[in-house]
Amino acid sequence: MAFIKIENLFKKFGNVAAVNHVWLEVKQGEILTLLGPSGCGKTTTLRCIAGLEKPDEGDVIIDGKSMFSQGFVPPSKREIGMVFQNYAVWPHMRVFDNVAYGLKIQKLPKKVIKKKVAETLESLGLTGLEGRFPGQLSGGQQQRVALARALVGNPKVLLLDEPLSNLDAKLREKMRFEIKSLVRRMGITSVYVTHDQAEAMVISDRVSVMNTGNIVQVGTPEEIYKKPATRFVADFIGTTNFITGEILEVLKERGLLYVHTEFGQKMLCKIPDPAMASTNNKVNISIRPEDIEIFTEPREGRDNLFKATIMHRAYLGNFLYLFVNIDSTMIRVQAPYDLMQKEGEELFLFLNPEKCVLLP
Amino acid sequence: MLLTATVFGLPLAYILARYRLKGKTLLAALILLPIVLPAYAGAFAFIVFFGKQGTLNLLLLQLGLITKPVNFIYGLHGLVFIQALHLLPFIVLSLSAGFTNIDPSLEEAAEVEGAGGFKRFLTITLPLCTPNYLAGAVIVFLWPFTDWLTPLIFGQIDFLPSISYINIAYHFTDMYRKYMGIVSVVVSSVICIVMFLISKRWVESKKYTSLSKGTTLEGRIIEPGAFKRFWSYVYMVLIAILVLLIPTVLGLSAFSRRWALTPIPTYWTLDNFKLIFLESPGLLKNSFVFSGVALLWGIAFGLPAAYLITRTKIIGKEALDFVITLMLAFPGIAVGVSYLLAFWEGIPLATLWIIMPLSLFVRRLPYFVRMAHASYLQLDVSLEEASEMSGAGKLRTFINISFPLLLKGVFVGIVMFFIMAFQEISTAIFLYRGGWETLPIGIFLNWHRGMEFGIAAAMAFFMIVIIFILLLIVSRIGGGIIGAAWGSSGGRY
Repeated sequence: MAFIKIENLFKKFGNVAAVNHVWLEVKQGEILTLLGPSGCGKTTTLRCIAGLEKPDEGDVIIDGKSMFSQGFVPPSKREIGMVFQNYAVWPHMRVFDNVAYGLKIQKLPKKVIKKKVAETLESLGLTGLEGRFPGQLSGGQQQRVALARALVGNPKVLLLDEPLSNLDAKLREKMRFEIKSLVRRMGITSVYVTHDQAEAMVISDRVSVMNTGNIVQVGTPEEIYKKPATRFVADFIGTTNFITGEILEVLKERGLLYVHTEFGQKMLCKIPDPAMASTNNKVNISIRPEDIEIFTEPREGRDNLFKATIMHRAYLGNFLYLFVNIDSTMIRVQAPYDLMQKEGEELFLFLNPEKCVLLP
Repeated sequence: MLLTATVFGLPLAYILARYRLKGKTLLAALILLPIVLPAYAGAFAFIVFFGKQGTLNLLLLQLGLITKPVNFIYGLHGLVFIQALHLLPFIVLSLSAGFTNIDPSLEEAAEVEGAGGFKRFLTITLPLCTPNYLAGAVIVFLWPFTDWLTPLIFGQIDFLPSISYINIAYHFTDMYRKYMGIVSVVVSSVICIVMFLISKRWVESKKYTSLSKGTTLEGRIIEPGAFKRFWSYVYMVLIAILVLLIPTVLGLSAFSRRWALTPIPTYWTLDNFKLIFLESPGLLKNSFVFSGVALLWGIAFGLPAAYLITRTKIIGKEALDFVITLMLAFPGIAVGVSYLLAFWEGIPLATLWIIMPLSLFVRRLPYFVRMAHASYLQLDVSLEEASEMSGAGKLRTFINISFPLLLKGVFVGIVMFFIMAFQEISTAIFLYRGGWETLPIGIFLNWHRGMEFGIAAAMAFFMIVIIFILLLIVSRIGGGIIGAAWGSSGGRY
């Protein structure tokens, strides 16, 4: 089931643990993303899978074979395709030779090489460019050549190290879907490294969020967005608001609890994990801007309805983006574009307890 | 001398780096040529042209502008003049590299803040260039500590290296003089190394880092106005003419006999060349053999050294790098003398011809390692990693990927190594024995004997021709004579 197993991986540079005892499994045929800010250890983890970096402790097991603990398997023997951040297309070779390089090393017959290269180039829309040098290609085309080179040998595993970060925004968006459908079609187990959460959401079957050398959470894009495990994940994926407070009262039978918030009012919140639900615990409540409902009139006796003042109001076409204050707590809200209230005026926010995520 | 070179070099560097001028490349190539010409060749040429009975004086006398020959060249001012011309390229190249590398937005920001042209130059542009300038300035400043021949030619002997040479050269007659010579060699070596280390420290502490990357590859390029354009041309052409004088005058004397008391030679002949080929083909052979052997060692040792320094984490590589870099500062005369002392009695290597290429190799190795190192740095590691991912082992990766990509940069280094070894004299002069004379030693001996100036000139001219041919080959491959002269610009990946 698990095609790649990362076991207790540890790697330090100087005194800094870049990867701090990481355990991770990648299933056969899935696209898993390592997502995190720069310096979180995602690239080092990827390079350990590739064999370009040797871990200080732990092992990587690919298709049942140990890569480190039973003798180091060099990168050239791992049957892995890799796409580098700067493409690493060899400038002194033509497109054809770049893509055919690995096949020539395998000493395949010329005919087979030609056929395979032609097929791969075609699937990436590069037919006709075989004779060009990389210097004569656009950034997007070089990117495709790098992809073709990684895929042509039918590798067991495809590794992608921020492959789209050097492309312009429009092309990047297009390539996300292209890479996803191509890799899906070929059914290659892939590990994709990125710091762009939107890219991770689009491309992955599962996302592994990393921070300071640790894996913080692994899950489908939806799980990670809707049920972030920590404040870091909630903050890193998408935009959210944090309200700090202390648990006041637990209503076990309703699955809810009351929090005494930083702006001095009681707030109702769903219990995510019974272990957290004890009074006086300090907590963070996370709620996304698009999950906040807006009322222009107060509703008597309703929980979680707070009066707020509009500080900034920005028109973004399909919706309004508001910065509002409840007391002195700044909250970001996504509001319907036809909202009439101006800056300095008041409105009422309904923070649905079902949408509030309680975090330690 | 540093001052002179700077004063002349600064505007030149600015013109080269910033102005868009037609024919700039050609003029730049001419101006930078002295870097590969031996300083003593220039000195000979200038004596012939500017000397008391030289072309310029005679012309002026004939025109009646002066009644007595003017001393243009003999003395300290002549020495400064010729050495400044010779070292100008180092200043120009390091400064113009600095000018080009400055992020244009830094200067634009100063402009927006209201700093006008000259003020901006003084407060922003120049300070940002100090690391580059210092790198070049050290070479220039240290030069007089290692060049003993040029002062001698100009009749100036109050220079450390010249004193060392004279003392050691006569040590066979007087033991005492030998020790004086050694002392002065040691003194100048110590000065060189201390200066070098201080400047290295300084440069490293002054390295400015800027967040932004330059918006243009070639830096800020200005379209100069007609006035500036005119004076830039005049200035560049003047210096180019001075440089061109060297091969021209040497050529004239090489093809003539008894050239004296006339502005240009009156009697043309090929005898000088015949003499070289008939009587002393050994010089040529020696030059090629010694330089060639030194070069082979250089490649065999230099490439692995560069690989170790750049790509591995081996313990002691910093020390290796440091020692090799330190050799840059070590005066050639010191290499020669210490080899002479070390291998004379204890290890009888000095009686074998192998000592000659060995000293050339040691002297020029740092340049080659630096160059190979720079090429390696420019080579993106991921290009090699990509090859390993495609199933190629380390050796195959080196053959298929690293080597072809390094070749351009290293090839330039190889030719420069050869050129430098070919014209080397300050080390070799101490070590040669009968039958091991190289071309430069031949030049020196012929000049020393006084009467054979034509032959010396012919040899020097011949050497310049060889160097020039080598340079042409490099520029074909490395792109541009500037690139060839400087070397490190080979390969842009």
